[in-house]
Amino acid sequence: MNFPENLRYTKTHEWISLTGHKARVGVTEYAQKEISDVVFVELAKKGHPVEQGKAASVVESVKAAFDIYAPVSGTITDANGALEANPGLVNQDPYNDGWLFELEVSDPLSVDALMTSAQYAAFVQSGSAH
Amino acid sequence: MTTDITSKKLPLHEEHLSRGARMGDFGGWNVPLYYTSIIEEHVTVRTQVGIFDISHMGEFLVEGPGALAYLERCLPRKIAPVKNQQAIYMPLVNERGGMVDDIILYRVKDDRFLIIVNAGNIEKDYKWFLSRVTDGVTLMDLSSEYGLLAVQGPASSVIIATAFGAFFRDIPRFQYRDFEGGIMARTGYTGEDGFEIMVPTARLKSVWDVLFMAGEKKGLKPVGFGARDTLRLEAGMPLYGHELTDEITPLEAGLGWALDFEKPAFPGSEILRSQKNTGVQRKRIGFEMVDRGIPRHACEIHKDGKQIGWVTSGSFIPPAGTTPGRNIGMGYVSSAEARENNEIDIVVRGHSLKARVVSLPFYKRK
Repeated sequence: MNFPENLRYTKTHEWISLTGHKARVGVTEYAQKEISDVVFVELAKKGHPVEQGKAASVVESVKAAFDIYAPVSGTITDANGALEANPGLVNQDPYNDGWLFELEVSDPLSVDALMTSAQYAAFVQSGSAH
Repeated sequence: MTTDITSKKLPLHEEHLSRGARMGDFGGWNVPLYYTSIIEEHVTVRTQVGIFDISHMGEFLVEGPGALAYLERCLPRKIAPVKNQQAIYMPLVNERGGMVDDIILYRVKDDRFLIIVNAGNIEKDYKWFLSRVTDGVTLMDLSSEYGLLAVQGPASSVIIATAFGAFFRDIPRFQYRDFEGGIMARTGYTGEDGFEIMVPTARLKSVWDVLFMAGEKKGLKPVGFGARDTLRLEAGMPLYGHELTDEITPLEAGLGWALDFEKPAFPGSEILRSQKNTGVQRKRIGFEMVDRGIPRHACEIHKDGKQIGWVTSGSFIPPAGTTPGRNIGMGYVSSAEARENNEIDIVVRGHSLKARVVSLPFYKRK
């Protein structure tokens, strides 16, 4: 499974990409497979403050709804509007066109504390991912 | 995503794993949720043909010289007019008029009947039937001895004819024929044409294999419980534990057609008779979302800011053939609000989302 090395990862299967104070967030390839066909995304709300580990967006499969958590604290600056018409982008391209939201990160150092690609791959492998 | 280790395995468990099934729990059983995707499998059944392993379902045998009179006392429909090799659907009613389960009864012979019950209700139903048994009646739970497969979809009769011959293809709707030590019935839970095949567990794998040999080139695919739920929801069919419970009456559920009042008393018959005369306070409805959002079980239904009911089932339904994809649900609302086209709100994660009441079923095959 593909876990790009330039991203950081959470135990709840989000990825985050940081540039300065700005970050983009989505779900990992592992997560999109577990969720199965994404048929609806409740977009994160622009301008809303989010706390690390709290739900910022919701992704739904045919059967169930999954909370997507903010990997770090900050303020939502944008959400991927393309997912309203085409939620399947989360499955097809989880690291690019299927991104979920962007945020202004309160503390860029908090991203460094998250898992690297290698750590996340080991975490998924260990099965504790369930 | 976790598996309850206490859940029971289907007789074809290994077969499902070998076909790549994603397993999950349903009614105390570890069952295939999907093999490839719920969406693909939903479309397969609407446009071609799918096979379901529904061996979790329960089967009871009722026989003996007292069997007919016993079932007339227990059940809310007239049993005497049911012919041999015929099947009928009905709710099982408790003393308060609520539903113990919904069942299909097959008349095997004059004094021999087979009853198919929901997996999650096997113990409850067995006790319910047992407590009413009288002289001349034998009740047996055969659930662990039989497996059940369903072949559903527009091409199902072609597959059945190829696999087992034209004799079985020609079974009329809601009838059955003896088959491989069990039965084959023209019944289903998807809104499509189809067959349900009950055979001794030992023969299940060979029947499954013969069906695949006959059908794989014609598009036959295994279908999991995820699509089973979207298919039955779109067909407006109630599911026990959702639309049907011990607290809801068949009249509220829109199952009045499956009650006969012109027969001797059955459990709940007086309460149901009076409810039929006075009218029900709440009704099962179907609704389609107007706003974006997927309704789910237990969401509240509001009108003008006040709760008028609750959602019992809701889902995204994939597009299939000429039927568009949409977000739909079923639920109960006060009878005054049950009219078609009534604008209602479904509360999803605190947001009031607009929906409108539509007639059931959402989908009817041509």
